[in-house]
Amino acid sequence: MIPHIESGVHGFDELGNFKGGGGIPENTVTLIYGPPKTGKSIFSYQFAYHGLIIEEPCLYMLIDYTMKDLKQNMMEFGFNMERYLENDNFHVINAVTTNREDLMVDSEVYRYSSVKNPIDIMVKVGEGASLVHKKNPRFRAVIDSLTTLLLYNENMLIVRILKAYIMRIKAAGGTVIITYTEGSTDSNKETMIKSMVDNIIRLDGEYLTIEAMKGMGKRRAPYNITDKGMVVGKGIL
Amino acid sequence: MIKKSHIPKLDDFLDGGIPEGTSVLFCAYPGIGSETFGYQILNGRLQEGDKGFIFTNVAEPSSIIYEFNKYGWDLEKNIDEENVFFVDGSSYFIGSPVMGKYSIENYSQIKEVVKKAINDVPSGVGVINNLSTLVDYLGVEETLETIHEWNEFAKLNKTVLIYIFTKWDYEEQFIDEIKSSVDCLVNVNTIEDRVIIGQGFMVVSSSWTTPSNEMALFFIIQPGGVRIYIPKILVTGPHNAGKSTFVKAISKKSVSVDRKALGKFKTTIAMDIGHMEYKGFVADVFGTPGQERFDLILDVLAKEAVGAFILVDSTLPETFARAKEMISKCKAEAIPKIIVANKTDLPGALTTEKIREIMKLGSDIPIVPASAREKIGINEAMDAFLALLYRD
Repeated sequence: MIPHIESGVHGFDELGNFKGGGGIPENTVTLIYGPPKTGKSIFSYQFAYHGLIIEEPCLYMLIDYTMKDLKQNMMEFGFNMERYLENDNFHVINAVTTNREDLMVDSEVYRYSSVKNPIDIMVKVGEGASLVHKKNPRFRAVIDSLTTLLLYNENMLIVRILKAYIMRIKAAGGTVIITYTEGSTDSNKETMIKSMVDNIIRLDGEYLTIEAMKGMGKRRAPYNITDKGMVVGKGIL
Repeated sequence: MIKKSHIPKLDDFLDGGIPEGTSVLFCAYPGIGSETFGYQILNGRLQEGDKGFIFTNVAEPSSIIYEFNKYGWDLEKNIDEENVFFVDGSSYFIGSPVMGKYSIENYSQIKEVVKKAINDVPSGVGVINNLSTLVDYLGVEETLETIHEWNEFAKLNKTVLIYIFTKWDYEEQFIDEIKSSVDCLVNVNTIEDRVIIGQGFMVVSSSWTTPSNEMALFFIIQPGGVRIYIPKILVTGPHNAGKSTFVKAISKKSVSVDRKALGKFKTTIAMDIGHMEYKGFVADVFGTPGQERFDLILDVLAKEAVGAFILVDSTLPETFARAKEMISKCKAEAIPKIIVANKTDLPGALTTEKIREIMKLGSDIPIVPASAREKIGINEAMDAFLALLYRD
């Protein structure tokens, strides 16, 4: 049986009906995609934050918004990141702002990079993966989101970064969530991205659809965004 | 005329440095930054009073100036004094204001603009960061053609060209062609076992000297730049597996901190320390005691080591469980490791297949039969270890 890790999203782990607890297959890559404002980032907040609570560190790649936004967004659901930034369990690669614009100090757990410089991003991912792995070989990783990265780089380069990223994190033992806004690139790119991940979840604002997931068939369930985060209802096969 | 590279150890590898008018390619695996090599060479040459330029298509000039500052190198002053300039192939494409003596707003301009830049720095140095990004713009054919033209032009002008290249999963043929387009190829590799635990550089080919196939392990510090270090290698295994003898066998010189426990046989109570130099790989070797009460030492050493030899006594399968436990300790720290099946010359010694079966080891961990006492299998063990480290 494939070991699973708890997703942190209310109701999601019950969808699979796995013996010994559901969730996300460990050491896989899950793509969460859908139209804008459907809760993709919220899924990744819950995934990351739940990991932190159970001492699974997280390597979080910030691409679409600043650290200030991330903290605020998470705070909306009562997730206080400060403690985990302090105890070095929450590692951030900030590819969106330079540290001249941001107040955070460049440190071992908070690294700056640039969406335009995938080579540098991979350097930071390599270092980050080693550090996080040292804290706990069972760790989580998030890219939120791929959309901006796609905007700034050539097709082939994206494939290379993603391949290198997935290889690096998987080798280190991590479980990955990648978010992506549907339609923000051409369908070729989309197909390409889908072919590189293990699990695919689509959010449309009303329903969460598991289009593909290791060890289980398609599932569909309604969901709501509440002040506790995303809550997934009973699944339909 | 040969000029120093200003990278420690690299000048030794290159017989003094980099000759005028030649090209050097730093070929790095994704996950390692090799641009520091280019920047450090440039900074060193500027300090010698030479001129230079940076072609960038990965970061805006202001970010590069900032990077230089973090290394403790003053690029801005050199720009003001017109010792160095940028060919900005980045800013325009991300909508920032362009900066630098030259800027690129259309990929088709790259070749000619860089030639102008080369022309501006006779006997100087140009850093091309980054060649792999250039391939994305220009495609394989045109990139190769462009490199050839730049190199020819640089030769006439006695300008050194430093190419920074990331080896994404390109076609082998393209990699070979890129490599053969330059005078000197330096590979920048990772040492890894699931995560990166070290990085090293090695001169693979050079038109002016014979490469020594020696790998220098390094880390990058800010301020400072590229720094060389001697890595630690761990030798561990159950009590009386022959660790001290093995440390001696692989070391040029070694010391052992031990005492004669209960008279007859020596046992190591602190650790064995040796210095290994084999086929260009240099390391300090630490042999830990096998008893459980010393596991703390193993813990500490495993954190710092880049690799481990795990010794087992091939004649004593009852000790394999303990060996396995010690492996899992090293595994927690994720370092490349090989099993040395010691005492293979003694009667009752198990075969490596049998040992693999009993210890339930995956095929990714090599097992090498050896006799540390009789000096059998020592070179084989070291070869297997280096192959693992270099991921040949």
